[in-house]
Amino acid sequence: MQLLHGFLWLTAFWLAGNLAVELGHLPLSPGVVGLMLLTLYFIARGRVHGTIAKASQPLIMMLAMLIMPGVVGVFQVLDQIGTHWLAVMMSLTLGTLLSVASTLWLMRRLLPASPRGEDS
Amino acid sequence: MSQAMADWLQHPLLSIALSIGAYLAGLRLFQRLGSPGWCPPVLIAALLVALLLWLLRIPWPAYQRGADWLMLLLGPATVALAVPLYQQMHHVRALWRPLLVCLPVASALAAFYAIAIAWALGAPPLLLASLAPKSVTAPIAMGITSTLGGSIPILMGSLLITGVAATTFVTLLGRWMHIEDERLLGLALGVNGHAIGTVRAFEIGPTAGAFASLGMTLTGVLTALMLPLAWHLAA
Repeated sequence: MQLLHGFLWLTAFWLAGNLAVELGHLPLSPGVVGLMLLTLYFIARGRVHGTIAKASQPLIMMLAMLIMPGVVGVFQVLDQIGTHWLAVMMSLTLGTLLSVASTLWLMRRLLPASPRGEDS
Repeated sequence: MSQAMADWLQHPLLSIALSIGAYLAGLRLFQRLGSPGWCPPVLIAALLVALLLWLLRIPWPAYQRGADWLMLLLGPATVALAVPLYQQMHHVRALWRPLLVCLPVASALAAFYAIAIAWALGAPPLLLASLAPKSVTAPIAMGITSTLGGSIPILMGSLLITGVAATTFVTLLGRWMHIEDERLLGLALGVNGHAIGTVRAFEIGPTAGAFASLGMTLTGVLTALMLPLAWHLAA
């Protein structure tokens, strides 16, 4: 029953996020608002709610399966990309190369070096 | 084919069974193949489903009706990401100053490069909206793309390619730049390669994995906050 209890909490936070998005006309997805609200709640309480943690684990492990039907959809929309395939591929590969290079460079400059062998 | 058979094949529960079965088979095949980074289990499972739909002649909308029930769970599953995020909070507290500068810039750049390159090569707004959140973890990225008016299936393909590309480039550039700091490699993997990069980071080590999941979640939240606002201002 702890699982159901935790699931109810997660759903309630999603619904709260949805309400905030609808009432505030926010350009955000309800899930992200719910995620932020729940994180703030944990910070305020100073710990993770046990039942929520119990329900979170199986849901997070299932994430990849939950998005899978969306991946199947790719095969249905290939014709929509059509003539723009080069723009899409360049944006994904060259864009990712540039952003990985920028991230590594930026973080090497800003992150203080950690003592070797320390598992922080 | 009789009507009864067609109804059975198009029942929402059959879509759900097909999805779960294909995913489990995808996981097993993935391990059998020696866990190749370029071919994550989701891709194998999606190919299996596409093949089965074609073989059984199940129309795409019928499959989607059932799969929508599964994808409804993405809502609470996204909220559930608050648990690992909170558990990584001590890293944020210890390194808040560099992270405060790095993460917003890095996640903004990831979206900016993708949009700028596609725009320069003449891609229409629908494609730009589907490519923009390419470095964001799927459940959050789907929310962003639907807010921007993009196509979820194109986004899913983009996420897959980006995850694999980011994993490859972090490995290559990390070696080339002589970066051995697990925190750095982990952050770069999580910020650019979302869940696919995070899986790779856990192979490097637990510290890299922790920083990757931190980078992934914060990039997701930051992009979800910044991108729709920037989009509205630009449009």
